[in-house]
Amino acid sequence: MRFFKKIRRYIRVSGIAPISRRYFIMNAFDGATTILGIVIGAYVVEITSEFWIVWPGLGATFAMSLSGFVGAYMTEEAERANEMKTLEKSMLTDLGESVVGKASRFASLWASMIDGLSPALAGLSCLMPFFLSSIGLFSTSLASQLSIAICLAIMFLLGVLLGRISKRNMVLHGTKMLLVGLVITLVFLMLKVTR
Amino acid sequence: MIRRLVLDVLKPHRPSVVDLSLALSNLEGVDGVNIMIYEIDQHVENAKITIVGTKVDFEVVKKKLEEMGATIHSVDEVASGKKLVEAVKTPQDVSARI
Repeated sequence: MRFFKKIRRYIRVSGIAPISRRYFIMNAFDGATTILGIVIGAYVVEITSEFWIVWPGLGATFAMSLSGFVGAYMTEEAERANEMKTLEKSMLTDLGESVVGKASRFASLWASMIDGLSPALAGLSCLMPFFLSSIGLFSTSLASQLSIAICLAIMFLLGVLLGRISKRNMVLHGTKMLLVGLVITLVFLMLKVTR
Repeated sequence: MIRRLVLDVLKPHRPSVVDLSLALSNLEGVDGVNIMIYEIDQHVENAKITIVGTKVDFEVVKKKLEEMGATIHSVDEVASGKKLVEAVKTPQDVSARI
């Protein structure tokens, strides 16, 4: 309880909440879009084994997560260090051991965790039908269709979340995000038809 | 034992005055806290903090303020003892203003 209270205080003091929200939506969208690309590409060439999708999908998800984690940590840490220096100059004191310093260090770690976990969460959710298909629950073709549906649903939900944050039409924002996924899907389906 | 402490404090914008006042009011021997911001800069703000209690420990207050990223500029008023004593106005105070 004390631990969560501390985390809540650090989030409040560092002002990381809106930044991590942005990171979450941006990277979860990236995760879903990437997996959608892999799945729809595999669907076009009619891959029969789900392993041809699962392994590239896992590889892409892992790469995105690691890149998100390291990228966000380095960026956020550099920005925060600069902010702390400016603040310490104004305060004429070392703030390293104060709640401000601790919150600043926590913020870099928090942002990188969100940035790293969000594409993994979205990517693994999109790959879920293939995990189930690999244990023989349904066919690879059905898994592809389910996976595409999950990717599109995640995109829509992320849009809804954006609408909720901006206090505007949630369905409209969901539809805007969904359109990106639909464009990818339609382009590849056309390729499949013309093949 | 200190009953009232008035401090001039320099603090960053975050943690907010709400967080700071709650943190100070949770200290042992503190009955109430009042924080008034009287100057705001781009990165920092100046606050007048009044702490009232039955047994206010100055060192503990100082430590808590430092933990919250604030620094004490000056101790502007201290009232201690069994009874809370208000500052008394003297003729010199009036003449000094004139």
